[in-house]
Amino acid sequence: MTKLLSPNNRNIILELKNITKTYTTGTNSFNALDGINLKIYEGEFISITGPSGSGKSTLMHIIGLLDNPTSGEVNLNGRNIAKLKEHQLAQIRNVTLGFVFQQFNLLAKTSSLENVLLPLLYSDVPKRDRQKIGLDLLAKVGLQDKTNNTPAQLSGGQQQRVAIARALVNNPKIILADEPTGNLDSKSGEDVMKFFHQLNEKEGRTIVFVTHDMDLAKEANRTIIIKDGKILEEKHA
Amino acid sequence: MTSLGIIIGVTSVILLTSIGNGLKKYVTDQFDSLGANSIFISPGRVFNDNGGFSQSGAIMTTSFSLKDVTNLKRKLDNVEITPANGVFVDISSPFNTQKSIEIDGSTQNFGINNNLAPSEGNGRWFTEEENSKKTPVIILGYQLAQDLFPNSSALGKKVIVKGKTLKVIGVSDKKGSSFGGPSFDKQGYIPLNVAFDLAGNNDIQSIIVKAKNKDSIESTKKQITKIMLEKYDEDAFSVFDSSQLLSSINSIISVLTISLTGIAAISLVVGGIGIMNIMLVSVTERTREIGLRKAIGAYPRAILIQFLIEAVILSCIGGTTGILLGYLGTLAIKSFFPAQVTISSVILAFGVSSLVGIIFGVAPARKASKLSPIEALRYE
Ligand SMILES: Nc1ncnc2c1ncn2[C@@H]1O[C@H](COP(=O)(O)OP(=O)(O)OP(=O)(O)O)[C@@H](O)[C@H]1O
Ligand SMILES: [Mg+2]
Repeated sequence: MTKLLSPNNRNIILELKNITKTYTTGTNSFNALDGINLKIYEGEFISITGPSGSGKSTLMHIIGLLDNPTSGEVNLNGRNIAKLKEHQLAQIRNVTLGFVFQQFNLLAKTSSLENVLLPLLYSDVPKRDRQKIGLDLLAKVGLQDKTNNTPAQLSGGQQQRVAIARALVNNPKIILADEPTGNLDSKSGEDVMKFFHQLNEKEGRTIVFVTHDMDLAKEANRTIIIKDGKILEEKHA
Repeated sequence: MTSLGIIIGVTSVILLTSIGNGLKKYVTDQFDSLGANSIFISPGRVFNDNGGFSQSGAIMTTSFSLKDVTNLKRKLDNVEITPANGVFVDISSPFNTQKSIEIDGSTQNFGINNNLAPSEGNGRWFTEEENSKKTPVIILGYQLAQDLFPNSSALGKKVIVKGKTLKVIGVSDKKGSSFGGPSFDKQGYIPLNVAFDLAGNNDIQSIIVKAKNKDSIESTKKQITKIMLEKYDEDAFSVFDSSQLLSSINSIISVLTISLTGIAAISLVVGGIGIMNIMLVSVTERTREIGLRKAIGAYPRAILIQFLIEAVILSCIGGTTGILLGYLGTLAIKSFFPAQVTISSVILAFGVSSLVGIIFGVAPARKASKLSPIEALRYE
């Protein structure tokens, strides 16, 4: 990979065209996203920031193919995902995308290791390799001695790190992280960011993360600022 | 916990049908012991036109006489004819008095035909000579002997019936109790002529004709009817064999079994609703889990298979536990009530509860797997 920071000359890996997401509660309808256009290039490191309730998580879910937009088009590698079958989408979520949820979404009553290994159940990674992959990843996020703990036996920051390890278990090309450092102290937060930089620079993975911390947002190549469901501003580093 | 509904459903279905079927088998066995090839002549109409018991059958308006017996004996060849006369009397030993005991007067072969002759060491049945000489002897049923002589053997002792002293010459083997009907164990048996004296008349209440073999039953019955019609009205007597008796008893038992199965079905439904409820309560939790699994790449079929397997395992555990409990319960009941586990009840109970478990385990999963991952994750 070249150290070229500008997205020019690179492939567009994901493109959003005029995305809206409207939530209807009772008779009220509310545009959580309102005409979003966004191109994400291969190997980019993007931060998304903005006030609470501005639509960051909603946008991330649509990028992560976890939710359907009310209108607009999502193209992944040049293909409109609306045309894909359910099992094809599942495979993309499993192999190509790694998603870190703001609320972690770990399975309760299930150990850290099993949580991390969950996506491998639906992949073709050989059974005998799985355990080692999971243990390595847990060690990478500093949880080698918590492999058998269930989420209830972990702190918020530790749960977040399990969620990050789970997102990485299938070596995804695109990592989408919704406030991955939100529950971490500044030291662990920096560790996670260092880890992301490494994944981006050494392994060429595309990373999109949401943060409220302007200092962290600035570490990305490009910062997108959202307000009221619209892109307010884009800053290149 | 989730299996509880299945366990209750399966257990109750098996238990209830076991009781019904046990009852049926018990009655069948009882009638078999009446002896094969036996034809009964009874006063009044025992059966109605539909093959069920006639309502007036219980009231015996006519009775037969020894003349009928000799008449039959003369006109039928190759058959054994046993007259029987039952009276209800109080019977006393030196220790106590048993009230309203049925004492059957009959001939020698009655004991053999009904397997009532005492086994070795317990005395003997009366002889034809004792019958004709009106020797005051009695054979006690197993239970009656114990009741009258609680702490000693009844053999050789004296009992008093209607002021008449009878010598106990035998005690019948234990036959077991029967339901509703008289118990052989609580009866006494005396020679017919002694019974005539006790009753104060020479009436005979039933005549048992033993046909030569199974094939001759029908023709013998026809002959008997013809002979009896010479003297009695059509409605005044009935001629039937044990298979006929059996089929009417069986039709009663079937009704019983059906109603018991009905109760079982209700318990299945209740059990099913229990399963349904537990499954539906966990829908929220399950829907979230499905959302997460979809988010990390589970394809719809994998989710359905997972939940199907879970439901099947739960149903199997519940069903097997239920079968086991039902079986153990049946064993427990068996000691004081006839009960028998049947394969069909096991299959029915297991099948229905598994079906309910599987349907209500998989249906929410199916629905949830159609939501987008985020919709499922946020489900409440
Ligand atoms: N399922 C829903 N139904 C109705 N409204 C919703 C739903 N999900 C989100 N919203 C609304 O959409 C808006 C955007 O929500 P979103 O979670 O994307 O915000 P956010 O930018 O991630 O906020 P935060 O920084 O607090 O995480 C909010 O006003 C929220 O109330
Ligand atoms: Mg958010």
